Formats: sequence, structure tokens, C-alpha cells
Amino acid sequence: MKRLAILLVSLSLAVQVSAQEEPFQTTMTPAFSPVTWERLLNAADEPENWLMYSGNLSSQRFSKLDQINTSNVADLELKWAYQIPVIDRAETVPIVVDGIMFITEAPSNVVAVDARTGRRYWRYDHDLPEDLRICCGRNNRGVAILGETLFMSTLDAHLVALDARTGNLLWDVAVADYAKGYSKTAAPLIVKDKVVTGVAGGEFGIRGFIDAYDPATGERLWRTYTIAGPGNPDVSSWSEDSWQTGGGASWITGSYDPELNQIYWGTGNPGPDWNGDARLGDNLYSDSALALNADNGEIEWYFQFTPHDVHDWDAIQVPILADINYQGRLRKVMMWANRNAFYYTIDRENGDFLVGKPYALQTWAQGLDENGRPIRVPGMFPTYEGIVVSPSIGGATNWWSPAFSPQTGLFYVNAFDGEQKFFKRDEEYTEGERFTGGGGQYIQPIDTYFSAIRALDPSTGDIRWEFPIQPRSSAGISTTAGNLLFSGSVDGYFYALDARTGEELWNVSLGARVHAAPMTFSVDGEQFVTIAAGNVVMTFGLKD
Amino acid sequence: MGLNSKFWWKWLLVGGTFCFSLTNIPALAQETGFINLYNTGVDIRLGARYFERQCSRCHGLDAKGNDETGAPDLTVRLSRASSDAGVFRIIREGIAGTAMLPVSADVPDPQVWQLVTYIASLNTDPANFDLPGSVAAGAALFTGRGDCGSCHMVGGVGGRRGPDLSRVGERRDPDELKTDLIDPNETVLPRWWTIRATATDGTVVEGWRMGEDTFGIRLIDANANLWSFSKEQMQSYERVEDSTMPSYAQTFSESEIDDLVAYLFSLRKEN
Ligand code: HEC
Ligand code: HEC
Repeated sequence: MKRLAILLVSLSLAVQVSAQEEPFQTTMTPAFSPVTWERLLNAADEPENWLMYSGNLSSQRFSKLDQINTSNVADLELKWAYQIPVIDRAETVPIVVDGIMFITEAPSNVVAVDARTGRRYWRYDHDLPEDLRICCGRNNRGVAILGETLFMSTLDAHLVALDARTGNLLWDVAVADYAKGYSKTAAPLIVKDKVVTGVAGGEFGIRGFIDAYDPATGERLWRTYTIAGPGNPDVSSWSEDSWQTGGGASWITGSYDPELNQIYWGTGNPGPDWNGDARLGDNLYSDSALALNADNGEIEWYFQFTPHDVHDWDAIQVPILADINYQGRLRKVMMWANRNAFYYTIDRENGDFLVGKPYALQTWAQGLDENGRPIRVPGMFPTYEGIVVSPSIGGATNWWSPAFSPQTGLFYVNAFDGEQKFFKRDEEYTEGERFTGGGGQYIQPIDTYFSAIRALDPSTGDIRWEFPIQPRSSAGISTTAGNLLFSGSVDGYFYALDARTGEELWNVSLGARVHAAPMTFSVDGEQFVTIAAGNVVMTFGLKD
Repeated sequence: MGLNSKFWWKWLLVGGTFCFSLTNIPALAQETGFINLYNTGVDIRLGARYFERQCSRCHGLDAKGNDETGAPDLTVRLSRASSDAGVFRIIREGIAGTAMLPVSADVPDPQVWQLVTYIASLNTDPANFDLPGSVAAGAALFTGRGDCGSCHMVGGVGGRRGPDLSRVGERRDPDELKTDLIDPNETVLPRWWTIRATATDGTVVEGWRMGEDTFGIRLIDANANLWSFSKEQMQSYERVEDSTMPSYAQTFSESEIDDLVAYLFSLRKEN
């Protein structure tokens, strides 16, 4: 049964005429060229592309594009939408390489679309087991690219490599055993010739780690545990054998400083979350920023934000790197608004504490000492009956990306002035089951509390301006050379503010929770802004 | 194609040698010309779930049978039915005089078809197929004289001018694989149709069709460049639904084709 169906389509005259008026140009550029390490290193200098989760290796989420700016942002209109077929809260930040956009879908799939139209080239569908252990939704936040290969975390705690041109699976390795409570949701980070990636599972008594893999083969090159174990003197920060189920998940993407050759990565809560009785001590290195040697993964320094955490205040924030003027001297710093409601500026060469101040409502600490260690208010640990503490379990902020604009010199964070009643419970560890030792509950409707985007001066921690949000935001932030700040809210707005003043310039109701961070790119000289809301990825541009 | 197509089933239809009387065929089967419409991955899963509840106590959770209950292994070629319709009939009517009772009359036909699909999906284990070829010899031909890797990837290695074959054994049965090699035009998925697009300025781009819709076309060319066109930017485009894979009917002997088929059929996720 030989089929020789040949279809010849000659487009109508009318269409041809209109096509001639608009000369054929853009689509003749075949996309895309391989993304070398040099390109990633200089990602900020090719602002037409968004080459990694946080935009560049310093994770500033600042774009040099300024075609869309404070004068014309009000003219933004929807250009296209891509519907993720699985209904969930999309947390994806797409990347764009030379006109091709790579979007991750819930639960662990990837599509490649034309960045101008949102129409699909290919889709990779990852097989998942049915008995996944996941705490917080079937999510994925994005891919990393090196050369012509994409790397993605999957909910069954695998790392997969895909051919970026076809979506073919190149390799698939199990990073950890999902049945023990491990999963993976964050975009990996490419560092030179390695794929660096973390794990989720902090509510399942895992022992967290950060891994590096060979991009060609998927072979593991190093593993650094985020929880000190035998052979490491810091294991003494855990009573008895509690380090074994110590948590310290590493479920958000880190940053890299090529000069210092250090990878910076945040770690999550100690396990069990809300009952610290069986894990006395500081519980190193939970709730910490880790600086790892990029070649061997060794911890060069750590800074623990919340020693012996009993409120689930993960230090799962994207570390933002910048060189700023601090007390008259240019310093290489790391900026960090923590879930515990304190903002920190840290010297990233050595982990020294420079600045620390609350940026949101908190009732648990009197302040920070000269080393940045919190001075606790007594009696704020969760109890069997429950005790009200600020911030809430979700924190003063959470994993949603903050941003830094080198143009304004300001650090931006979505802050929540909440409170919650914290409970503790006695719990035995069973492999693969939730191991949290308590929980929390709101004591008033969530609308009672106050939320805002806050712009901070990183050299002092002072709040320069704030933009109130009702009721709350769980979106990331991006800024641009057009002096714009883009973000969204849980009630489904996407909006632009003046990054200098916080003045509102444009908003659009997208009808579903914005639970991802915006990104911007351009194709053939035309700038676009993309955001996921609900399970839809939407791209905006200026009116034609 | 797919999991439910037993390769001799076509002959059954063509030859008209039905092993059961027409009056026994359930209404739905008649309407659809004996084709099981419930043949997606979701159907397999729903079938599996129903099997677990209603059938596993005799046939076992893995459907591999149980000596005590006398229920046979359903993952190998069945002895009492040789078609989807035949399996449907067994489930609907039971096997007279044995412990294999019919399912309850109020179980709707679609659910029975899902069971059929699930059972068919079990019978893809290469061990259950007595194939004449040699997997090792086929693998050698694939990478050697066949040079199949210049177009196809297996396990992340190979070209992009043909489909990834890493799991082709899960989606093609041996007969279909044989046809793929000797008559590639028999089935060509739309992803592998070729498109020649002529732009308004006369430029021509040719490639495989990754996506086509009312307003646009997306292609991958022979150098793996990705292109996206809006139809209004094109003067014309030509679509050819033939395969770009050569036929190997003349290149390889019968037994070499058998070897390639054995190798291809062994390609699945586990390997
Ligand atoms: C009470 C035990 C029992 C249950 C429950 C049962 N079976 Fe069976 N089944 C049998 C036995 C025994 C045979 C073998 C009958 C014979 O051929 O002697 C059989 C045979 C079969 C066959 C034919 C196998 C062949 O090799 O031809 C199929 C197909 C089948 N069963 C499917 C099912 C399905 C589907 C279910 C659930 C809806 C089911 N069975 C539930 C006992 C059971
Ligand atoms: C010139 C490139 C090319 C070469 C060489 C080639 N193929 Fe193909 N092959 C294709 C294309 C294109 C398709 C898809 C169109 C079709 O189904 O025929 C295909 C389809 C197939 C399929 C069906 C896959 C499916 O998922 O349906 C199989 C099996 C296959 N090829 C095996 C082989 C083997 C074995 C060889 C070497 C003996 C080979 N091919 C050599 C291009 C090629």
C-alpha cells in the first residue's frame, strides 16, 4: 500500500500581496547555535536570550533589554499563550535560545516552541511511577542548557538530558531513590563542564545533597551532603544519629562566581520540620548558604541563617551575586532575603556577615548578633497546643526569585507579613513517609495580613520603597534596563512597576495564580516578556 | 499499530476466517469493525486497575497466572483467543465449564475493551516471541553495514534524520518492524513527512514536519536547524508524505532483516 500523497499549496493571491508588503525576513534565521560555556558565562551580554533559570550566573534576573520601558510598557499586549496540558500551578521559567523557547510542564515534561508564536516543535514526556512522594505539587521549574543538550530534574528524582533540537532522550540517571522521599523540581545550573543539581524531599526525612554530573554521560562527578555526617566535625551539631534524617533539601537553583570559582546554593529545613527535640544542636548545614568549590564540591564556607530551625524556614532562596559599594569599598557580596524575615548581605569571598535586618514582620528574634546569628526570643518554639509566631510557615518570602537591578542598585523581594500557629507532634521516622513533627495553621483569614514588593538597599538593608499587594504574592521578580520591574500575585495579576520608585505602570489580570518568575527576551529586535499563570505560559509584547 | 495490534490480526480480517460466529460479536465490536478503540496509555492504566480488582485474585497481580486457581498466564500468547475480539469475548462470556466466569453484565463494553488492551500490552515481552533473528547480529548490522545510526538515535547516540529508536520495540511489533524496513512508505507518521517551503523572496527550505497548523509550519532540516514559518510569509509549500528512509528489501537478505527485527524489537526502556 504505497502512499504518494503530495500536497502542493499555493497560497492565495490576496495573501501573497499582503506578504509582499511585509517582507519575509525573520524566520529565515535557522535557530539555534550551540550554547557554549562562554555564552553562559556572558549571558548578560546577549539579552535577546534567557539562557538559564535566573537569567545569568549571578542570578540577578536583570535584563539589558530596554525596548519595553517605563514610557511604553502600558502598550503591552498578549502575543501568544501556551497551555500546559496538565492542570497545576506552573512554576516554570522558560529559557530562550535564538528564538526557541524551552518550557517545562508539570509533572516532568519539556516542550520546545517558537518563541515568537508559542507553537510547538517537539515535546518530551517523562515516564513517572505512580507512587511518587511529593510534598508540594507536581511541579518543575525549568531546564538548563549546555551545547545542544537540555538538562531537567524530574519528580522521580532523576536527571535527564535531552537533545535540544529533537527532544530525544540522551540519558536518564536516578539521582536518588524516589521511594525514600526524594524528588527533583528545580532547574539545574551549568557550571563549566558540569551539571549541578539539588534535591527536594525535606518533609520526608531525607539527607540532602548537591551533585555535579558529566553533561555527556550523566556520570556523577561529585556529591556534597548538605547535612554533616560522620567524618565531619560538624556532625556534632546533631544530637545522636539525627543527622541521618536531617533534611537540608536543596530544591532551588544556585549561582556561580567564575572568579572565585564558587557555587552558592541554599539548603532547606532540618528534619523533622517542627519538632527539634530529637535533633538538638545547630543542625548544620540546614537553612544555610553554602559556598562550594566548583571543581570538587567541597564546602569552602557556610553561613547558617537559622540555627536549629523549628519553623520550616528553608534557606531555599536564589542567591543573588553582585559587586556593591559597602562602607566605601567595592565588595563581592551575596544578597539574601530569607524565609525567616531577615535580609542579609554577605561577603561571598569568605561568608562574612555584613548586613542583616528584618524586611518583614517577625516575632521570633530580638535581632542578629555581630556574626549574623539570630538572638532568639525565648519560648517561640512550636508546642503541642500551638503558639503564634511570625513569619508563617510559608515564610516572609519563599523560593520565588528575588531580583537585583545594577541600574537602580536595589534588591527586590516579595515579602509577606504573616503569622501562624505552630504545632509540634511526636513522630517516628518511616522511610518514604512524611516526617515533619508538626504543622501550622492560620488563625485569621489570609486577607488580614499585609504583603508587598519591597525594594532594599543592599548596603544597609533599609527599605527604599514598597508596593502593597493584596492579598499576597508567590511570584518571582525580574527587572530590566527599561527601569521596569515585573512580577505577579496569587490572585492572578501580572504587572510592571517603575524599578526606581515602585510606581505602578501596567497590569493585566491573567485569572490564575502567578507562581513563577517572569523573564524577557527578544527575537529579531522585538522584545517580549513571558510569565506563567495557572497552567498557561503567556508572552507579551508591544502593540505592532 | 500500537500495543493491541497482533500482527496476524490483519490476516484474520482479510481472510475472513473468524474463529467464532458473527452473532457472538458484541455490538460495539461490530460497529467498529473489530478495532479496539480503547487503546491508549490511559486505557492500559484503567484496564490494569480493573484487572487488579477483578481478575488478579485468580490470575495474579502480575497476570502471570496461578497454579492453585488454574488461571493461566496472560502475559504470553493466549491459548483460547488469538485476537482482541476473542479476548473480549472470553471476558464477556467466560469460558464455559471453568472457573473463568463472565464479567458482570453491567460492566460497560469500554471497560472490557480496556481489559483487552491491558492484556495485549502484557504480551510485548520479547521472550514471548519466538523470533527467527539474532539480536546481536541485528545490533551489529544496525551500527555496521546498515549505518542506521546516521539517521536514528538509540540510547542518545545517532542522527536526527529519523525517529529515536531507543524504545521502538514497545511501539512496533515484529511484523510492523519488518514492514518498516522493507516498505518504509507503508506507515509514515506526520512528524516524518517532508515539507519544501518557498518564501516570498524565493528562498527554499526543506525539512521534516515538526509541526503544522492553520497559520504556521515548523521544520527541522537535514542539518538539524529548526525553522518556523508563518504561512503568510510563504509563496508556496509542498508536502510529501513518503518516507525519506530507503527500503532495505534489496540491501539485506531475509535473515539479515530478521536479525534487524529481532534487535529492534529488543529495544525498550529496560535495556
Ligand atoms: C475465579 C478465578 C478467575 C477469575 C476471577 C478470572 N479468571 Fe480468567 N481464567 C480463569 C481460569 C481458570 C481460566 C482458564 C480456563 C480454561 O481455559 O480452562 C481463565 C482464562 C482466562 C483467559 C484465557 C486465557 C488463554 O490463555 O486463552 C483470559 C483472557 C482471562 N481468563 C481473563 C480474565 C480477566 C480479564 C478476568 C477479570 C475480569 C479474569 N480472567 C478473571 C480463572 C479466573
Ligand atoms: C536516511 C535516513 C535513514 C536511514 C539511513 C535509516 N532510516 Fe529508518 N527511518 C528514517 C525515517 C525518516 C523514518 C520515519 C519515516 C518512516 O516511518 O519510514 C524511519 C523509520 C524507521 C522505523 C520506524 C520507526 C517508528 O517509530 O515507527 C524503523 C524501525 C527504522 N526506521 C529502522 C531503520 C533501520 C534498522 C535502519 C538501518 C538498516 C534505518 N532505519 C535506516 C530514516 C532513516
